[in-house]
Amino acid sequence: MTMPHRYCQDREDAVAACALEDMVLLYHRPSGQTHMVISPVPEILAALADGAALTAKEVHGELARLYDLGPAEHAVPQIEAHLTELTALGLVRVA
Amino acid sequence: MNALLLVRVLRDPDSAAALDRAGWNALIAMARAERLIGTLALRIGDRAVPDAVARLLADARLDAEREVRQALWEADRAAEAMAPLGLPVVLLKGTAYAAAGLKAGQGRFIGDLDILVPRNSMQAVERCLLRAGWEWVKQDPYDDAYYRQWMHELPPMIHASRDRMIDVHHTVLPLTARPRPDAAAMMGDAVPITNELYVLSPDDMVCHSVAHLLADGDMAGGLRNLWDIHCLLDGIDPVALDDRAARHGIQPYVRQARRLAKALYGEGARLTLWDRIVVARLLARDGWGRDRRKLLRFAFYLRSHWLRMPPGMLARHLFTKWRKGHRPA
Amino acid sequence: MKHALSLKIGPATFRIGSAWRQPVEALAQLYAAYPDPGNAVADFTVRLEPSGFLRRWLRPSIFITGDHGLADAAPMSLTHGLLAAEMGMNLQMALGWRRHLLLHASSVEKDGRALVMTGESGSGKSTLAAQLGERGWRLMGDEFALLDLETGKIFPFPRLVSLKNGAIDVLAAEALPARMGPLLAATAKGNIRHLVPRPDAVQRMEEGAPPALLLFPRFGHAAAMRGVGQGEVFMRLTQASTNYVALGEAGFAALTRFVQGVPARAIDFPSGEEAIAMVERLWEELA
Repeated sequence: MTMPHRYCQDREDAVAACALEDMVLLYHRPSGQTHMVISPVPEILAALADGAALTAKEVHGELARLYDLGPAEHAVPQIEAHLTELTALGLVRVA
Repeated sequence: MNALLLVRVLRDPDSAAALDRAGWNALIAMARAERLIGTLALRIGDRAVPDAVARLLADARLDAEREVRQALWEADRAAEAMAPLGLPVVLLKGTAYAAAGLKAGQGRFIGDLDILVPRNSMQAVERCLLRAGWEWVKQDPYDDAYYRQWMHELPPMIHASRDRMIDVHHTVLPLTARPRPDAAAMMGDAVPITNELYVLSPDDMVCHSVAHLLADGDMAGGLRNLWDIHCLLDGIDPVALDDRAARHGIQPYVRQARRLAKALYGEGARLTLWDRIVVARLLARDGWGRDRRKLLRFAFYLRSHWLRMPPGMLARHLFTKWRKGHRPA
Repeated sequence: MKHALSLKIGPATFRIGSAWRQPVEALAQLYAAYPDPGNAVADFTVRLEPSGFLRRWLRPSIFITGDHGLADAAPMSLTHGLLAAEMGMNLQMALGWRRHLLLHASSVEKDGRALVMTGESGSGKSTLAAQLGERGWRLMGDEFALLDLETGKIFPFPRLVSLKNGAIDVLAAEALPARMGPLLAATAKGNIRHLVPRPDAVQRMEEGAPPALLLFPRFGHAAAMRGVGQGEVFMRLTQASTNYVALGEAGFAALTRFVQGVPARAIDFPSGEEAIAMVERLWEELA
């Protein structure tokens, strides 16, 4: 069985965030790109905010403490999918 | 008027103090046209200039900083995309200078990402980039086949969402050009600057920049290319450079580049007749930012084709392009 | 270049060179009331060049370029020289201006506050701004609104208003003939006439105002109004800005501040009069 990926933030102060009424805007400083995201993406990024390198399951664990995410067997793959996409955009890296 | 004004101010920024409004207008227009406005802004620094000029130069400095950020991000993305291949990613040109923190990278307009990889890895590199979101810039089948067979790079690719181009080279001059730089030696002596990113050795950086300026192309943007060379020559051992240039088969070009850089941006140098013709081409820019001396430019355009191809092939190539309605810029 | 002129519009100074006298003469006449740039070094150079070897004389054809240019720009007939010069200036601003966030929008000011209107070509934003400019509002611009990166105020770029097709007659009825430029017939966008902004708009071209309302106008539909969510506003404004990306984080900060602070409405209207009535009502409500 392969080891699950650990994800970490691209860089400590990489992102400037701005919460609008209906979405969150992220300005990614290294790339100069602006991303428009909705939950649970901002929350996933917040879970990685202190520099930790977490697996999708661990991120789920963090978020489940504060939010109702539904059954883990659905939520964890969804979180993994978000993390994969964030990696492709460069907001997150595989540690 | 020609671009001697721009060259003079880059060489000796104090001389800008004597400029009047017409002089500044001309200088700014030339600098922009030659993509040297960022460099000019850095050379002038905090010297006293008219308010309007201070504002423009501040804008140029901001643009240059953004260029560096975007260029380094592109390099990071390319390295990520190619990570599974385990190859060193050798950066070339502006991105390399910026990534290595060199003077040549300061204030520089960067444009595309240029990287150097072994020829036998080109297909694998191509696959990785396509998978990571780069696409081909549309070309017709003739150009595409020409690129793959004869050029020293893949046909250009552009990233679908970031809209930035990447040029993947396997050597630094077209395969059909007369000199044959030793690409393997260049890659072998490349210097790591991060875990994944490499740049050429200082001597090879000079050689590459010289090959690009004098052994390829029609010298559009030559003043900027020569400024790069001028910066890169700082601290280089001339004898070692000469040896390396010989290894790459471009010794006369490197010697010429050193004379030209010294003549324009340095303390002055004795120039041959051919040197002077090249200088005339480099300086063909007027105070409105226009490219001057059309015949001279056309002559260099023809030369750029001649440099890239043996005569028989050149004739066939030009015939094909003529049939398709291609006209020189 | 044989013929040249310098112009100051809002915060930007242009040096315009032309191979022909006619465009420069037309500009000089219509911009006569604008401040003299004096001895200032130009922010931008615009060049109106012959588009080919003989095209200076034979079916004269203008290639528009300058500090910033587009290699594939379509050449224009010399009869549309005035339009070519205007497009040349727009191109420099769009590609080269860095001191404000540029919004492709019209703007007008009243009571020290700015109304910004943004939309596609044909949305009616320019015509509406021009009409408001004739009815007690100060016209700040019909094409570009400049958002100050530090203060969040809107600053004017009061170039000649470009009126197209039907709008020409509407404004010709409201403005003095001396303020209307020549008819440029059959351009790529139809018939065009330029309108010189009123004297107070020109005199106060350095005066900004904090934005109080953002409108997305749509001309030619039954009257209607709806609020627009912040997310949609942000997305549409980044599309309407030519230099958002170039400004980096400062652009992000300025635009988010604008989106969070300025109420936004989409208005549909069948006629200019209806639109003006809707605008005046909204302005009262928000005061």
